[in-house]
Amino acid sequence: MTSAAASQNIQADAEQLTGARLVVQALEREGVEVVFGYPGGAIMPVYDALTQARFRHILVRHEQAAAFAADAYARVTGKAGVCLATSGPGATNLITGIANAMMDSAPLVAITGNVASPLMGTDAFQEIDILGVTLPIVKHSWIVRDPADIPSIFAEAFHVAQSGRPGPVLIDLPKDVQFASVRAPRMPRRVALYAAAADPAQIRRAESAISAAKKPLLYAGGGVRIARATGQVRDFVRRTGIPAVSTLQAQGVIPNDWPESLGMLGMHGTRAANQAVQECDLLIVLGARFDDRATGALAKFAPNARVIHIDVDAAEIGKLRDAHIPISGDMSAVLAAMNPRPPAIADWAETCHAAAIEHAYRYDAPGEGVYAPALLKELSERAGEAFVAACDVGQHQMWAAQHCRFSDPRAHLTSGGLGAMGYGLPAGIGAKLAQPDAHVCTITGDGSFAMNIQELATLKRYNIPLKIVLLDNSMLGLVRQWQELFFDRNFSEVDLSDNPDFVAVAQAFGVDAFRISRREEVSAGIERLLAADGPCLAHVIIDPMANVWPLVPPGKSNAEMMFGDNI
Amino acid sequence: MTQTFTLQIDRAEGSLQRLIGLIERRGFHIDRMSVADAGQQREVRLTVRARDEARCVDVLGRQIDRLVGVSRERSVSEPYQEGAVVCTA
Ligand SMILES: Cc1ncc(C[n+]2csc(CCOP(=O)(O)OP(=O)(O)O)c2C)c(N)n1
Repeated sequence: MTSAAASQNIQADAEQLTGARLVVQALEREGVEVVFGYPGGAIMPVYDALTQARFRHILVRHEQAAAFAADAYARVTGKAGVCLATSGPGATNLITGIANAMMDSAPLVAITGNVASPLMGTDAFQEIDILGVTLPIVKHSWIVRDPADIPSIFAEAFHVAQSGRPGPVLIDLPKDVQFASVRAPRMPRRVALYAAAADPAQIRRAESAISAAKKPLLYAGGGVRIARATGQVRDFVRRTGIPAVSTLQAQGVIPNDWPESLGMLGMHGTRAANQAVQECDLLIVLGARFDDRATGALAKFAPNARVIHIDVDAAEIGKLRDAHIPISGDMSAVLAAMNPRPPAIADWAETCHAAAIEHAYRYDAPGEGVYAPALLKELSERAGEAFVAACDVGQHQMWAAQHCRFSDPRAHLTSGGLGAMGYGLPAGIGAKLAQPDAHVCTITGDGSFAMNIQELATLKRYNIPLKIVLLDNSMLGLVRQWQELFFDRNFSEVDLSDNPDFVAVAQAFGVDAFRISRREEVSAGIERLLAADGPCLAHVIIDPMANVWPLVPPGKSNAEMMFGDNI
Repeated sequence: MTQTFTLQIDRAEGSLQRLIGLIERRGFHIDRMSVADAGQQREVRLTVRARDEARCVDVLGRQIDRLVGVSRERSVSEPYQEGAVVCTA
């Protein structure tokens, strides 16, 4: 061996020997392409090793944005998203993002630095028991005590995050573990992703129940997207002709123009969907969890229905509603194995379809001002198959779910379970990096946008051509709507009329921006937004008093809907 | 009505906290609990009682099954009744 080669070898060995280097290697071994993070004292050895990494690091401007971006990246790709933060405030800033991933079952690997092991438990500078703080909002978590365990812990962490019902995991790395040299790291055993096999007897029972049903209905949830079972569900609908309602997370599963599609159920669902649920005699639940925003008053939900509940997570079955036929297993496999004789339901299917047509949304609202539902519908139609929406939380989020056309549930990123304002912009960043060819649009409100507005700097820094539609009603609109309807119009702390000039703000960050104030400007504005080469923001002025319709008042049955002007 | 779970749990940091936190958060009181050394693992016996009627101990069992590094050996409901706490048909 030449001495140059020998010294190279020694260098390679020396490099391999730190915990921090093992962390980078473990991420490379998992095929990670991008990590979202923010440095600080307790994670510095890992940042030191990052400059040699084969993956990209995206420096966000707030750790919450790192977690949200990684979550969205995961929802689009189906692979775990990775976020990285320092101890103490860096770690606590991740929490909302970890909770968001937990509530919507997104595979997320959160990595935090911590103070050195001897200091842990002494209230050291920037020491937080992040493992303890995050226990209820992770699938699992680890504190690495022995750097030799890094390869196997990381392999297990990715496995846990991505297998079964996905979710977030956390790995806490004390600083001394990152610095430590490792002689013989314990290498991971390869663990294959497994999917539990469903009970064939239950599948046979489900087939009989479906064939015998007079008014069967599919209730599709976020599990369809997660299981990547959209094709199987569509195929099942085609084979059986059974009408379908879908949750917020399942928009895009059944194409809107299919006669079986009844749209979203629940609080801001369609009349046709909620009526069908109230009348059905068999509810086929596909990866949904009877969330209260979908069911309204649970005791009055689908009162006449027997329930077939299909979910990869057995703990969801029977949690809120008893299942007559519980099927726990991988959805694609279950649907492929389920071949019922198509039920005789022509009348029922026709009734459901007729209701969908009769109560379809209207887009002919009077006035000169911008009508947000029409704008969102047009935006999604112009962007076409490549449209991906990353939504924030509020009225604009509900309008996006109601009025956009989604080619696939992966094209609709929305904080459903947690309902976390601030998701939209970082989620748009994660989604655009995951799918550079898509027309990724962040749909946000003036309240939500301010929660992670600093990420405009990230857009500029990496020149990420994300398109932002900011629907500005100068209000915390959804809260204002509830105050109007359920608190006697006693408007309390919802006025944002002193908002900054968002066009000027975006421009100050170096992001192209323009304003749409009148209805006649909408089409040209959408054109300009979609055609922009770089990041671009459309600041859209809408009526402060516009409401989301229809609506099921909180705590009421889905049969007790309130209607507004566009129904 | 109470239910007793016998579990084997990994000796990992946070594992007991994780288990107890789950049970209480999901709406159950812990009436009795013992932890014993079982080599690589710890054996935990827990007797729990639902805080209100809406809580289903079968679902709690499946939520415990979801925990990484925890395996459920047996669950006994007292007074013992076949199928007494089956929440799914
Ligand atoms: C982090 C966070 N804080 C508070 C809320 C409660 N909340 C739900 S919607 C909403 C108003 C959102 O306002 P905006 O983003 O302007 O959207 P709009 O409803 O006006 O479309 C608020 C405050 C929340 N969901 N998330």
